[in-house]
Amino acid sequence: MGEYFGDVLAGFWWTIRLSIVGGVLALAWGLILAVLRQLPGRAFAPVRWLTIAYIDALRGIPMLLTLLLIYGGLGTLQAEGTIPKWIGVPEFFGYPSAFWYGIAALTLTYGAYMAEVYRAGIEAVPRGQMEAARSLGMSHGQSMRFVIVPQAVRKVIPPLLNDYIALMKDTSLISVISMPEVVQVGRDIYSTTFNPSALTLGAIMFLVVTIPLARLVDWQIKKQDEKFERGIP
Amino acid sequence: MSKDLPEVSDMSDPGGKSGLAKGQTILTVKNLKKSYGKLDVLKDINVDIKKGEVVCVIGPSGSGKSTLLRCLNMLELPDGGQILLNGDEVFGDGKPKNLDVLRREVGMVFQSFNLFPNMTAEGNVSIAQKKVRNRKGDFCKDRSIELLSQVGLEDKVNEYPDRLSGGQQQRVAIARALAMDPEVMLFDEVTSALDPELVKGVLDVMRGLADEGMTMVCVTHEMGFARDVGDRVLFMDGGVIVEQGKPDDVLGNPKQERTQQFLGLVLANG
Repeated sequence: MGEYFGDVLAGFWWTIRLSIVGGVLALAWGLILAVLRQLPGRAFAPVRWLTIAYIDALRGIPMLLTLLLIYGGLGTLQAEGTIPKWIGVPEFFGYPSAFWYGIAALTLTYGAYMAEVYRAGIEAVPRGQMEAARSLGMSHGQSMRFVIVPQAVRKVIPPLLNDYIALMKDTSLISVISMPEVVQVGRDIYSTTFNPSALTLGAIMFLVVTIPLARLVDWQIKKQDEKFERGIP
Repeated sequence: MSKDLPEVSDMSDPGGKSGLAKGQTILTVKNLKKSYGKLDVLKDINVDIKKGEVVCVIGPSGSGKSTLLRCLNMLELPDGGQILLNGDEVFGDGKPKNLDVLRREVGMVFQSFNLFPNMTAEGNVSIAQKKVRNRKGDFCKDRSIELLSQVGLEDKVNEYPDRLSGGQQQRVAIARALAMDPEVMLFDEVTSALDPELVKGVLDVMRGLADEGMTMVCVTHEMGFARDVGDRVLFMDGGVIVEQGKPDDVLGNPKQERTQQFLGLVLANG
């Protein structure tokens, strides 16, 4: 098993980078979507409607399909000359285009999931908070920025971490567009040697990261529960 | 307590600029209507509030008194009628107008305090000064500490709301509304959620405000407060103002049968 360790670790390092960049972007994109969805008044109804349609669509399509559509779509549009090369075949920071296609798919899909988590958090903030902020003359945007969102995010850290674990595992889908991440490496080794130890090693590496994350989720939930259930034996 | 502020260059928008003399009409409500579905909560309400006046609104649960107060700040949108602040229309033709001005000049204190739990007491009092009045940070902080001292909380400046008692939280909420230097303060049953021994501290702060000439509209169940501090008492029932007048007249010698019934019940209970 040891002979493959270096290769598998190199693959897992891509997995880590995909999940960190994709995770950060999905967290930000999800928050933007959630805030757009909460815009008040009749004037913003089209924005709310579009946001809901987006969230429904991206949660309803398998991420693998989204990934293949981005990969095929952007590549084809670039080949036709419809869009410039830096968009069609992105290679920012010297990373391969498959990396960025993967990041796009992770952000678009998990942004939609996380938007729903943020939304739950925003809706869990008591109505009186927005009333108090608006009664002081703060705009809807200021009230969201300084009062509602800071409280909402704190409430949803555990479910966001949960989604983050799912996102990390879904980076393995990016292997289908030849991203040399840990699953791709394991499969290559397996197909030439019929030895599954590289795959086993990959599974272990995932667990080394995801199990502590799962514990972290539980610890966060426990911490929140303690805050609310003080004094109950 | 907020009326004679020094001229400070940091204070880009000091607020409270109407310059009305005591006794001039500051808030006018004409033919105000509000319904939830088929339920008419407010039916054709007409009332004038004068500068420096303390108006106490009493009435049974569901009489529309809280809805009236919330309509004055557009937290509930009326269905019809007109509201004027300093002669400027802030609601008319079914639409709110100059909502920013209205909310800046009219402060509100809620039954459930609604302090921002993610900020300290000082942060709660400072945030709208910074973001709405565009005052500088140091100035806001000094002003907030001054206001917190005036409500007796100079030792709680850096505490978060969950470390404060209900009465202390409500006093922070009053300071927070005062920090905007409003022309009118609305109080929505501000002592109803408090333990009995904490009520006095909050009422004392409100008494102090009234003494300093603040225009106040108080929805309240504190008949003693209405009698001592109120300049006028409105009795509401079924979405209309049934009776109004000097506290001694309305509370001591009510003319309408419904007022008599209500006061009989309230006074019998304590």
